[in-house]
Amino acid sequence: MNVLEIRNLTKKFGDFVAVDNMSLNVREGEIFGFLGANGAGKSTTINMIASLLRSTKGEIDLLGKNIAKNVKFAKMNIGIVPQDLAIYDNMTAYENVSFFAGLYGLRGTLLKERTLEALDFVGLGDKLKSYPKNFSGGMKRRLNIACAIAHRPKLIIMDEPTVGIDPQSRNYILQSVKQLNQMGSTIIYTSHYMEEVEEICTRIAIVDHGKIIAEGTKEQLKTIITDTKETWIGVKTDGALALEPLKQIQGVTAVRLEDNVIVIHSRAEVNNLNRIIQQLIAAQAEIRFVEEKAPNLETVFLTLTGRNLRD
Amino acid sequence: MNVIRIAWKELLVNFRDMRTFVFMLAFPIVLMLILGTALTNAFQSGATVGEMSLLYRNTASSPQLTEAWNEFTAAIGREGVKTVAAAAGEDGRADVRDNRYSAYAEVSDDGIRFYGSTRDSIESSIIQGMLGAFADRYNLAAAALKEDPAAVPAILASADADSGSFVSESSLTPDRQPGSMGYYAIAMTTMIAFYSCMSASNLIRGERTRKTIVRLSAAPVGKGAIFAGKVIGCTIVNFLCVAAVVLFSKLAFGADWGTHYPLLLLVLLSEVLLAVSVGLGVSYLFKGDSARSVIMIFTQIASFVGGAYFPIEDVGFFSGISNISPMRWANEALTKMIYADNLQAAWPALGLNVGIAAVFLIAAILFMRRQEAL
Repeated sequence: MNVLEIRNLTKKFGDFVAVDNMSLNVREGEIFGFLGANGAGKSTTINMIASLLRSTKGEIDLLGKNIAKNVKFAKMNIGIVPQDLAIYDNMTAYENVSFFAGLYGLRGTLLKERTLEALDFVGLGDKLKSYPKNFSGGMKRRLNIACAIAHRPKLIIMDEPTVGIDPQSRNYILQSVKQLNQMGSTIIYTSHYMEEVEEICTRIAIVDHGKIIAEGTKEQLKTIITDTKETWIGVKTDGALALEPLKQIQGVTAVRLEDNVIVIHSRAEVNNLNRIIQQLIAAQAEIRFVEEKAPNLETVFLTLTGRNLRD
Repeated sequence: MNVIRIAWKELLVNFRDMRTFVFMLAFPIVLMLILGTALTNAFQSGATVGEMSLLYRNTASSPQLTEAWNEFTAAIGREGVKTVAAAAGEDGRADVRDNRYSAYAEVSDDGIRFYGSTRDSIESSIIQGMLGAFADRYNLAAAALKEDPAAVPAILASADADSGSFVSESSLTPDRQPGSMGYYAIAMTTMIAFYSCMSASNLIRGERTRKTIVRLSAAPVGKGAIFAGKVIGCTIVNFLCVAAVVLFSKLAFGADWGTHYPLLLLVLLSEVLLAVSVGLGVSYLFKGDSARSVIMIFTQIASFVGGAYFPIEDVGFFSGISNISPMRWANEALTKMIYADNLQAAWPALGLNVGIAAVFLIAAILFMRRQEAL
């Protein structure tokens, strides 16, 4: 069963087309990854799903009902975790969750139970009376999630919920997302961290220029890329390493440097490893290791969009 | 129910914000104390009269005049005027210039020549008045001497018997007027009531800045409920601050707030509602920080011409301009209610406040409905 169905969705701001005739389905029980660089159209799509923006054209159905005609029903069944922290610093953790849950019609004992349940779920059960201004970044992110789930929505939209937090909090949040999914919530998840998407998402859509350019499981997406290979070379250099000469080598399509590891994308049919190594030796780089890797989502994304996810 | 929930949230968030206390409570109270104390004299209608002293030189040859003059000096002496005969060669005018005497009089057969001190103008004017009265009586006695000599002693004697009548005083008692603390208690309270427009201009923008606008808009709550909740919450928060300022000024500074508290608080509530509506309306009319600038400028001008910092006279250029200031309406209404028991004065202020508030609220609602988000 589809929890969400989007058909020919378009959103224009003046002459600018932010979302261009987009169609996709999100099935019940999925953690659906929504990938796109900044300005690709992700947030606009999410805002239309959450009834924050009206579409220019197209339709969105939630649980079989058109959201434009059933706005209240749609809002009752969606929980949104915005990319930016959306909490009140002058209200305690309990008051924040209780206030937002109350807007969804929860009252009395049920409101109290669900508020405590949500705070326990994100590990803030012992911080009920604490103010968010005294929280760490990770705790604020968790409170941000608690505010979105207390009313037990069928569909939870998480827009970059792990931005700017420590690895421990990130792991906690990722585990929470999986747990929410196991408890029956369908989740739309966007992130700039490809490894997160690879870890938790069951299906992924890649968005570029307002369109979905690829969609499927991560294994399906990786099979799209058959004409690219990825080479990782560990190096040690005394100074800055110029990457430009590497980009000039035949067959190389992209080069990036991450923590003393050069990641080179090349066309699969070109054998250029010798020339790459010669270039690095000429640049007086000390080579630590050379490894050819199977395409990952990052490669898929880069190949399809021509951009890194964090561009 | 959601309206109440949102209004309650406004109360919690604002009362836990230190800026609310500093801006809405400490600021008006401190200003009230400073201005009310510093400008005490500017609000006093009476004047203090210092020591009155008259230096004189009597060169008249007429024994009647000399006798009358001596009786006069003795009489005003009993009234507290120090009279001193100038010594030979003493320059009386120089003594007055040097501020040793309030006035100097030269009495001769040709009449009385008077020199008053410009420095002790009140004192010298009183003495001049006394001298004028003396001259009138002496002239009357001189005229009577020709027609009815028997009446002369009685006329001159009256100067002694009615010594206190050389200067008679009468005054009209106007309605009670506020002193400096009373004035600034009203002025600062109405000013801070109008300052509510600043927090109101941030009602929606604040949610945008905090990003909580996304959650509010995503919740199954209509724009109208969010709008109403925020207006009610903001109005209550600011009105409670205004009421606290009234109470504090009464208890701590002894400010006179009269006896008509329900109507007085109703006028202040209507002014807060007006300010909240103006703030909200302007925040929709002007985007971003320009709304804040417009509100700041308007509030300062309205405070200035509305008499927040000093009283505005009822005539002249400023009087005309001040009539556009909501603070002026409220100040006038409250002053008349408190000091003249004129309850009718409340209705024009109430009518203007509520009417203009309605216009701005409707404008804000229309703008809000046109926008996709709040």
